[in-house]
Amino acid sequence: MTPTTLVEPTAPAPSPIPPSEHRFAEIIHRLEAGGSMLPDTPENLKQIIGIYKAYAVPMDFYWRDLLYIAEQVFLEPLPAFKYFLPQEYLDRPNTYAGDGSSLRVWRGAATAHPELLEFMEKGETGAMPKLWHHLWHDRINMEFAEACMQAMFWHQDMGGRFNEYLDSDAYRSNADRAIKAYFRNNPLLLGLYGVFPEMFLEKVKQLSYYANLGLFWEVMAPVFFEMSDLYDEGALTSVQQAMEFLVNGIFAVAGQPIYHQVQIAGEWFEIVPKAEGMTWLHEAALPYVEAVFYRGFPFRGTKSYNAQVHQIPDKQADFHYGILYADIFPVGSAGIPPTLLMQDMLHFLPSYLEADYAVHRRGDHDKLIQLGVTFQRSMYNVTSAVLQALRAVLHHPLDDPDPDHLLANRRFFEEQMDRFLRPEARLDAIQDPDYR
Amino acid sequence: MTTPLLLIIPGISLAMALLLPLLPQQRPGLLRFAAAGAPLLQLLLGLLCWRYPPSDLHQAWLPKLGLTLDLGLDGLSMPLVLLAALLTTLAIFVTPIDQNRPRLFFCLLLATNLGVVGAFLARNALLFVLAFELVLIPTTLLVAIWGGRRRAGAAIRLVLYGAVSGLCLLAAVLALGWFNSNGVDFGYESLAQAQLSAGQSRWILALLLLACGLKLPIAPLHGWQPFSYAESPIPVVMLLSGVVSKLGAYGILRFGVGFLGDTWVAWSPWIAAAGALSAIYGALNAIGQADIRRLMAYSSLGHMGLLVLGLAAATPLSLQGSVAQMLAHGLIVALLFACVGLIERKTGTSTIAELSGLLNPLRGLPLTMALLLLALMAAAGIPGLAAFPAELLVFVGSWSAFPQATLVALVASGFTAVYAVRLFNRVGFGRLDNQRADWPLTSWAERAPVLLLAVLVVASGLWPRALTGWSETTTASLALRTMPPAPWSISSSLSSASPDAAPTFEVLAS
Repeated sequence: MTPTTLVEPTAPAPSPIPPSEHRFAEIIHRLEAGGSMLPDTPENLKQIIGIYKAYAVPMDFYWRDLLYIAEQVFLEPLPAFKYFLPQEYLDRPNTYAGDGSSLRVWRGAATAHPELLEFMEKGETGAMPKLWHHLWHDRINMEFAEACMQAMFWHQDMGGRFNEYLDSDAYRSNADRAIKAYFRNNPLLLGLYGVFPEMFLEKVKQLSYYANLGLFWEVMAPVFFEMSDLYDEGALTSVQQAMEFLVNGIFAVAGQPIYHQVQIAGEWFEIVPKAEGMTWLHEAALPYVEAVFYRGFPFRGTKSYNAQVHQIPDKQADFHYGILYADIFPVGSAGIPPTLLMQDMLHFLPSYLEADYAVHRRGDHDKLIQLGVTFQRSMYNVTSAVLQALRAVLHHPLDDPDPDHLLANRRFFEEQMDRFLRPEARLDAIQDPDYR
Repeated sequence: MTTPLLLIIPGISLAMALLLPLLPQQRPGLLRFAAAGAPLLQLLLGLLCWRYPPSDLHQAWLPKLGLTLDLGLDGLSMPLVLLAALLTTLAIFVTPIDQNRPRLFFCLLLATNLGVVGAFLARNALLFVLAFELVLIPTTLLVAIWGGRRRAGAAIRLVLYGAVSGLCLLAAVLALGWFNSNGVDFGYESLAQAQLSAGQSRWILALLLLACGLKLPIAPLHGWQPFSYAESPIPVVMLLSGVVSKLGAYGILRFGVGFLGDTWVAWSPWIAAAGALSAIYGALNAIGQADIRRLMAYSSLGHMGLLVLGLAAATPLSLQGSVAQMLAHGLIVALLFACVGLIERKTGTSTIAELSGLLNPLRGLPLTMALLLLALMAAAGIPGLAAFPAELLVFVGSWSAFPQATLVALVASGFTAVYAVRLFNRVGFGRLDNQRADWPLTSWAERAPVLLLAVLVVASGLWPRALTGWSETTTASLALRTMPPAPWSISSSLSSASPDAAPTFEVLAS
C-alpha cells in the first residue's frame, strides 16, 4: 500500500463557500483541505508515527490473544491462563502481512513481531518463568485490550449489524451448539446452562466481541508497522500523508470479514459465520472508533463520578470518556488499563521518541504521560482518517465543484466537530505543541 | 564535662552569625553549609551533654541588676535545645539555594536560634527574658524582608504582639525577682523559694499568662499567628511554629507551674478551659481555611490548646505529656510546613482551591504528598506517630483533674482528622491541572530535610520514650497534683477500700 490516491490533496484555490463560523472553523477548513484534525508539523508526524510503531507491537499480541480467547479459551470456567499465548497463535500468520498474504499491508513477516517475541522472552526484569512475568505485570497487559472489548460490547447503537446479529435466533442456535459441545463432558456446567441459559449466552456474546476486536486489530497492527517503516524510509513526510495512508488502509480492508469461530475438541464451530457478511469497516472499525475513541467509560482509578448528580450522562450515546476526551494525567496510577497500555507501549518506543521525551517536561520520569499525550494526538489523526473515509463514502469529494456538495461536506465536518465542543475534549489541547 | 560547654552551645550560633558576612555571597552552597554547621554542632554538643551531663554554669554578669550568666540543662531544657538545634539546621537546608541575600538571611536564622537556645539554657529569669526578647528582632526582620506580599502587616503584627508579650514577661519576672524575699535575685533556685503574697502571685501569673499565651499562642491571643505563618518564608515558619512558640509553653511550665504553684492550681480550671476552647477554636477554624498555611496556623493553635490543658492539669502524666507534645508538635509542624514549602515552591501557590491532583505519581509531587499525608496523620494523632503518645498522656493526665475540658479537647482532636482529610482530599486527589503541572521533580537535596523529619515523626511514635523520657523526673518534681490510682489498681484494692471512696486527685501545692 502506498500513501496516495483516495484523499484529495490540499487545494490551494480559495473555497467557493463562505468560511465556517464554527468554533473549530480552522480545523474544519483544514479537514476540507484534506488535512487532519492534528496540525501538520514535523514534530506531530514524528510523534504519531513513533507511537503507532510502539502501539503496533503490543497490538500484535492483543489481536492474537483476543482471537485465542475467543476461539480456544472460550467458556473455560477458570481462565487463569488466557493471557499465556500458545506458540500456535504466535505463529498464526497475519492475514495482511507476510509473503502468503493476498492483501498485504505490511512488508514484514506474518508471524509475531520479533520485538514482541524478544520482550516476551525477558520482559523488563530478565528471563524467569512465565508465571512470574505474568504476576509481576512484566508482560503485555491484556487488561487494556479487554477494556476496549468491553466498551464495544457495552455500548449500543453504534451502527453495523453485529450487535443485532447477536440477538438473532441464528446466533442463539450457533451459540447453543457451541456451548453444549464445550460442556459435553461437564454435566455440572451443562446443567447450569440449562438453568441459566442467558448467562452463558451473554458470555458467548462477549467472546464474539473478543473475536471482533481481534480481527479489527489484526488489520491495524500491520498498518501501523508499515507506516513506521515508510517514515523510517522517508516516504511519509507529513501528517496528511499519514492520514491518507490510514484512509487508504480503511478502504482497502473495509470489506474484510468479521466472524467468530470456536474450536472444540478439534472441531470448528461457527458462531458468527463469515457467510453473514459482517465487514471490517461497518461491524468492527466504526463501532470501535465510536466505543473506544468517543464514548468509552470512566476507567476505575482515573476519576470519580457521581451518577446521582448526573455527572454520568443518562444516555450511553452521550458518554464522552474515550481517548479523544481522556485526561491523560491519571496515567501512572497503579494497575488501571490506561497505565497498562502506556506501559506496554513504553517497551517498544523508537529511539527518536525516547530522545524527544527525555528533553521535555520531567524527561524519563513522566515518559508514561508524555507517551499518553502522544497517543492521544495519534488517535485524533486516526479519527481524522475515519472522518475523511466517512465523508468520502457518505458525501462528496473535497474538490467537488458544486458549492451545495461542499456545503454538505461542511455540515458533515461541523457536526463531527460539535462532538468536541465539550470541555473535556482535547481537540484544543492537541493544537498546542506544548501539550505534552 | 566542663561547664564552658554550656556557653559554647549558644556561642556557636553567635560566632557563625558573625562569621557569615565574611563569606562570599556568590557561593550559596558554602554559605548554607557554613550556616547549618553551627546548629548541627549545637545538636551534637547537646547530645554529648545528654550523655555526659555538665554541671551548671554560674558566671556573674550584671550583679547589681541580679543578672547572672546562669546556664544549665535539665529534663525540660535539654530536649528543647536539641529540638531548636535540629529545626534550625533543617530550616537552613530547607532554604532555597537561590535565596535572596543569603548571608543576612542565615545570620538572622542563627540569631533566632541563639535567642531560643539561650532562653532554654537560662537558669536566670532575667537572662531568659533577654533571650526571649532577642528572638523577636531577627524573626521580625526575617518576616519583614523575605515575607510574602503582605509581609509589612505580618511583621507589624508580629512585633506588636511580641513586644506586648516581652513587656509582660519582663514585668512578671521583675516582679518575681523584686518581691523575692531572698533579695533581688532572678536565679531559678532562688525564685523557687520565693515567698509571695496571694495578690502578688495573681498579678505575676496574669502577666506571665499573657506573655506566654501571646507567644504560644492560644485563643484569643493569636491575632499575629495566622497572618505571620501565611506571610513568612518557610524556614522562618518552621522555627516560629516549631521552637519559638515553645518558649511560651516553656515559660508557663518553668515560671507558672514551677514558681507560682498555688495560684496556678487556683486558676487552673480557667486555664484548662482556655486550653480546651483554644483547641476547639483552632480545629474548627482550620476546617474553614482556604490556604494551607493558614490551615496549619490554626491547626497549630489547636495543638497548643491541648498543651495548655496538660499544663493546667499539672499532674505528672499531663506535664510529661505537655513536654512530649512540645517535642512532637515541633517535629510535626516543621514537617507540615516543610511539605507546604515544597508544594509552594513547585506550584507557586498554597491556596487550596488552586491545587488538586498533586498525588499524581508522574506529574505531581507524590513523595511530598506522601510525607504531607504522614504529617497530617501525625497531627491527627494516629497511633504509631509522634503526636499519639503525647496527646494520650495529656488526655489521661488531665482527665482526673478536668474531665469536661479534656472531653472538649478530645473532640477538638477529632476535628483534626476532619481538616486533615479535607485538605488532602482536595490537594492530593482530583484532576491535576495541565497548565499548572509543569514543574520539575523535587530534588534529593530538597527532600532530605523533609524525609529526616518524617523519619523522626515515625520513630518517636514507635518509640515514645524519645519524647517522654527526657522530662519524666523533672515534670514529676514540678507536678502540682497527683494522679488517682489507675482503674486496675483500684479494682485490685477494692476489698480493702471503702466502696464509696471515689478516686480523686490530691493537690500537692500548698
